Amino acid sequence: MNIINNKSALTQCKSAIEVSHVNFAYSKESTPILNIEKWQVSRGEHVFLSGPSGSGKSTLLNLLCGTLTPTAGSIALLGQPFSSLSNRQRDKFRARNIGVVFQQFNLIPYLSVAQNISAAAYFSGKGNSSQKVLANTCELLDRLQLPSHVLHAKADALSIGQQQRVAIARALINSPQLLIVDEPTSALDADARDSFMALLKEVASDSTMIFVSHDNAMERYFDRHCRISELSLPSTTQPPHAVKHTSKPKQESL
Amino acid sequence: MLSTIAIESLKRRKTTALLTLLSITISISLLLCVDIVRSQVKTSFTRTVSGVDLIVGAPSGQLNLLLSSVFNIGTPTKGIDYKSVASLKSNKQVSWLIPLSLGDTHRGFRVIGTTNRFFEHFKYGDKQALALTEGRVFEQPLSTVVGADVADSLGYTVGDKIIVSHGLGSVSFNNHDDHPFIISGILEKTGTPVDKAVYVTLQGLEKAHSGPKSAHTSRLRKKTAFLNGHSTNEHEHEHEHEHEHEEPTQDNYDSDAFTPESVSVVMLGLKNRAAALQLQYQINQSKKEPLMAILPGMALAELWQIMGNVEALLLGLSGLIVICALIGLATMLLATMRERYQEIAVLRTIGAGPFTLLLLIQLEAMLLTIVSAALSIALVAVLMSMFKPWLSSTYGLFLSSPLFSQSSVIIVLLILGCTYLVSLFPAIAAYKRGLHAGLNSN
Repeated sequence: MNIINNKSALTQCKSAIEVSHVNFAYSKESTPILNIEKWQVSRGEHVFLSGPSGSGKSTLLNLLCGTLTPTAGSIALLGQPFSSLSNRQRDKFRARNIGVVFQQFNLIPYLSVAQNISAAAYFSGKGNSSQKVLANTCELLDRLQLPSHVLHAKADALSIGQQQRVAIARALINSPQLLIVDEPTSALDADARDSFMALLKEVASDSTMIFVSHDNAMERYFDRHCRISELSLPSTTQPPHAVKHTSKPKQESL
Repeated sequence: MLSTIAIESLKRRKTTALLTLLSITISISLLLCVDIVRSQVKTSFTRTVSGVDLIVGAPSGQLNLLLSSVFNIGTPTKGIDYKSVASLKSNKQVSWLIPLSLGDTHRGFRVIGTTNRFFEHFKYGDKQALALTEGRVFEQPLSTVVGADVADSLGYTVGDKIIVSHGLGSVSFNNHDDHPFIISGILEKTGTPVDKAVYVTLQGLEKAHSGPKSAHTSRLRKKTAFLNGHSTNEHEHEHEHEHEHEEPTQDNYDSDAFTPESVSVVMLGLKNRAAALQLQYQINQSKKEPLMAILPGMALAELWQIMGNVEALLLGLSGLIVICALIGLATMLLATMRERYQEIAVLRTIGAGPFTLLLLIQLEAMLLTIVSAALSIALVAVLMSMFKPWLSSTYGLFLSSPLFSQSSVIIVLLILGCTYLVSLFPAIAAYKRGLHAGLNSN
């Protein structure tokens, strides 16, 4: 079964994310951290996910990235039963279809900017030539307003702001349909945050985006605001309509 | 991309990587040195003499006789009476006979008294005959033919005069100054102890020992030494040749015509090699004078058997050192895993599968070992060329090309195989590391 290469299935489904009856606990004995009855994100939608520390935001992102698997329930991404794929299939699916920007950026410190970005292109297995990857990298860095000389700089020699943009470039190099961004603005002041968000919205305009932050002031940049406390209910209770719309959902452009 | 990541990752941890590289390089070099010395000693030994069916000397032990007569190592055996030599010469099985008189030196090189038969019949390697690069064989009693290394290191050419010293030390206070030998020929290089020897006529040697004094004085000297409690071996010399033969002229000189009183060793070539064992038995049972005959091939095999145990022990120890170094490599990789879990998780997130990560860790280990092996090969080649003269002069070990044999290639391949195996431990640790734990460890 070549799920991850089935382009028609990936593009025909209108939902980017479908979470059904998902329950997650780190061990059998511990209390479930997440209990989501139903949650859906449309294609192209930019969703702001908020909640206090320890509420399960990062756990939900890890479930969506496939770095954790649900204890119960299912997660479908871009029409594919993501949570029931094998580890290898999930790795490949993630590499090709999901871009992740981590809170700490998680660039590989001893690789150059170009190597960090091209590694993501290489391991996705999309088979783009190195020249094409380099051209795409340069274009992305340009759009992210990074000077061309950073291309050969080691990741750990960059400023925080530069690392943040390189992390976005790495997440976008494979033109992912789903972009997951985990609190990348926590270290920024208000001006820098606004500038960053404008840039992110611009470069990720074609992707579905889940943006996590505990700063509710960020909700104005997004189509929808989901509070994790409303999304995930205690396992004994039935979930109500967990989604609060802050604006009209963006129409999918299929 | 994988190799770029592996190289950059090693460069990031260059201190530990360099120390690991150093320890592996030293251990592989040690193993290669042992292997090279082992194979070169074997080659050197087996090519030293060929075509000689029996070596006859005074009873002193098979190895002693072999080492002193063929390898020019150790103390020469006590001399054998020339009557016994004549008796051997007249044996119908014997095709040719080379008398050798040992015990003198020239500036640290062994001097061997012999006849022109030596140049005619002595063979080395694959029955290769000796050849001269310059000059001729013995032409008169005070002729000398020198080995290639002697001529090279002392800068001799045909016509030069040399002085023979009494005894085997590199420095002697008893020089036979009265009778300088004239170099009549220089031998081609053979890669055997022949290269480091000075061949003189038996007659010239006897003359040199007699000096201006009579043969009686010469004999008296030996008797005095004996009475003073010195054995002939302590004098490391056994030349008591009579000096009562008529001096031949240069024109009719025949080195075979001279018959000394005794010689140190005799090499025999037989008409039928199958008779070697029988003749050996006969000689060993000789009642006229106690003699010992050895078959060079069997003596070499015995010598090699003794050395074989040492060789196996050395090889085993070196192998253990390499394994220790490789375990050090695995330990280094395992120790760095903790700081690499986040990096591994990031690689997983961007699409590198567990198997790719396993390959990455193994590639790092392989890179270190391949570089170490290359450095070791270069280091060993340099060291061997640096110590080549010392090995040949001190241990009689002649290094021949190619330095690295098939066994060296096998050793390097085995080391790479071992690297693959030991690197599995950190590689599996990377393979099994949870993706989520790595991403959230920061």
